[in-house]
Amino acid sequence: MGKEDLQPAIVQFAPLDKLLALGRANSLWPMTFGLACCAIEMMAAGAARFDLARFGAEVFRPSPRQCDVMIVAGTISKKMAPAVQTLYDQMPEPKWVIAMGNCAISGGPFVFEGQYGIVEGADKLFPVDIFIPGCPPRPEALIEGILELEERVTGYRRWPRVEAV
Amino acid sequence: MSDLARSQNQETFVLNLGPQHPATHGVLRVKLTMDGEYIAEAEPVLGYVHRMHEKMGENRTWAQFMPNTARLDYLGALSYNHGYVKIVEQAMGIEVPERAEYLRVITVELNRIASHLLWFGAFVLDLGGFTPLLYAFDDREHILDLLESVTGARLTFCYFRFGGLYNDIDDDFITGSRAFIKRLRKRMPEYHDLVTKNVILITRLKDIGILPAEMCRKYGATGPVLRGSGVNYDVRKNEPYSVYPELDFDVPVYSECDSMARYMVRMDEMEQSMRIIEQALDKLPAGPIMPEKVPRMLKPEPGDYYSAVEAPRGTFGVRVVSDGTNKAYRLKLRSPTFSNLSLFGEASQGMLLADALALMGSLDLVIPEIDR
Amino acid sequence: MIADLKSEFAPLAPVAIIETDYQVKGYHLDVEVGAGQVVAVAELLDRRGFFLESITGVDWLGKTPIANQVEAAGEPAAVADSEADAQDGAAEKSAEQMEVVYDYNHTGGELCRVVVRCRLERVKPEIPTICQLIPGANWHERETHDFFGIKFLGHPDLSPLLLPEDADFHPLLKDFKV
Repeated sequence: MGKEDLQPAIVQFAPLDKLLALGRANSLWPMTFGLACCAIEMMAAGAARFDLARFGAEVFRPSPRQCDVMIVAGTISKKMAPAVQTLYDQMPEPKWVIAMGNCAISGGPFVFEGQYGIVEGADKLFPVDIFIPGCPPRPEALIEGILELEERVTGYRRWPRVEAV
Repeated sequence: MSDLARSQNQETFVLNLGPQHPATHGVLRVKLTMDGEYIAEAEPVLGYVHRMHEKMGENRTWAQFMPNTARLDYLGALSYNHGYVKIVEQAMGIEVPERAEYLRVITVELNRIASHLLWFGAFVLDLGGFTPLLYAFDDREHILDLLESVTGARLTFCYFRFGGLYNDIDDDFITGSRAFIKRLRKRMPEYHDLVTKNVILITRLKDIGILPAEMCRKYGATGPVLRGSGVNYDVRKNEPYSVYPELDFDVPVYSECDSMARYMVRMDEMEQSMRIIEQALDKLPAGPIMPEKVPRMLKPEPGDYYSAVEAPRGTFGVRVVSDGTNKAYRLKLRSPTFSNLSLFGEASQGMLLADALALMGSLDLVIPEIDR
Repeated sequence: MIADLKSEFAPLAPVAIIETDYQVKGYHLDVEVGAGQVVAVAELLDRRGFFLESITGVDWLGKTPIANQVEAAGEPAAVADSEADAQDGAAEKSAEQMEVVYDYNHTGGELCRVVVRCRLERVKPEIPTICQLIPGANWHERETHDFFGIKFLGHPDLSPLLLPEDADFHPLLKDFKV
């Protein structure tokens, strides 16, 4: 049979998905979850000067059930790892993870031969979407990370990219 | 039903606060045994961000350990820089140029204000007021700008060097600091109008969370917690170091022992820090910021050394055992909040949960510094 | 203050009691006692209004403990003893030591920091707890147990404080391997 006879479906899922993705990307709900130093820069990103609300990602929720982004801001110790894993598991799909700072990326400055206490990177526990380097990263870097994540979700960049001077 | 339960003495239950809870300022966990809304027993569980600083102290050279000090207590990083360089200078007999000492005091006090501002915002946030946090962060950003211009970092400063500093300040820093103090002097009355005189805040803090001076002594509590219990103890005065003896400032002491007293101590300390900075800027001598000769290889004489500084949260002590090599044989970090938190179990007994959280907020906890 | 303390410590028969140079060392008085005296010393200092700043350990694996030299003649010199042991190859293993260090300070009046130290056999590091007397010692002792495996006899709960709940290692021992 020829394809030309087929009528398009009444309910089109792909455009709906696009719409949903647009909605999600523009109102990411991160989890209020600070592990160490980076959490302060995360707070700074949400506070007066940097104002994460401009990008729709200011609704920090203390409960993982209400979040779709987990910002791993700090060192994951072996004692904390099961709790971090639980929090990740408790988040409803779809969900994304941002590893903020060197500790969450690789263990950062606390990796040495014979280290006994930390998990060397959040990606040892669950998949990570965005890595933001820095010790700690500046709030601008976190914002850029969130914009990068938006691009991941929708497939296009909503805000112009800032070129290095 | 509830009468029956009570008669069978089954009304206590265990409530797990943290390690992921916004009121615990990070990853502290408190195992609470609750009798209804009242705390029957509270047991803090630590170690969720234990980062092996003391082990690292043993396998890195003296200079390589410097950045770790900033990550201990990231809110008062420069005080921790100071405590660490001080002990090595003391053990090696390194003379610090006067200009460097003045700049240390200026930057440490700026850092102290930044730390107290953040505490102020977060503490009121714990009590349910969101707006002051935004005010406090607004002011804090100005300090971070200043410190960034000389140290290169916003939070985890590694500015001090054995014998001096990494970088000298410029005129912009001086004018900027003066402008900031002028700005904060105007803001403080606003803070007092907005928060201190707020009747809800007063009701939540006054006569609640009593920590008698004797309890503070038994638990080794220091800093604003101790000064809020009527004990006039400040390492900057009692055990003078750097150029603090040349500067005129008061140590705020409140004897009410309640959460309000600790709140007031920190608010007043910000004003005193501003006084210190102003005087230090006036007196700032010209000259080098590093001594002419600093040994390239640091090898303190074998022996043990102790040194303490007044960090924003209390007495930060370093105990070092040197075996005469370029690494510490043992490096013990005495963190103030570790001792300050240890009294929480006893102090919170019989308190309402909500009040105990206010008490915890008034202790000004930084968890990575407790866990080290 | 220091002279007073020295005379008060005398009846407790400390192993060594040394006045140190505060400008270099950062403390005024170094008191070395046997494990049996730790509680009595804590009680004495507590009565004098001191507070406990910290407790920690030092592992002297294969090393002669570094200590302040006793200046006054006639006092028993612990350092000389252990040096002699260290030179004696056969006795070396049994002479391996650990140290528990208590830092005391007080808040009012004349500045006086007192360091109390106690040497323990490395094979069986046990020392009485002082946490019944000074509740703040509870966590410090638990932490020292975490890091060095030093047992504080009579301590209500020596479960890991900073290490994971099921930790069975003591990371600050010099022979610790992951």
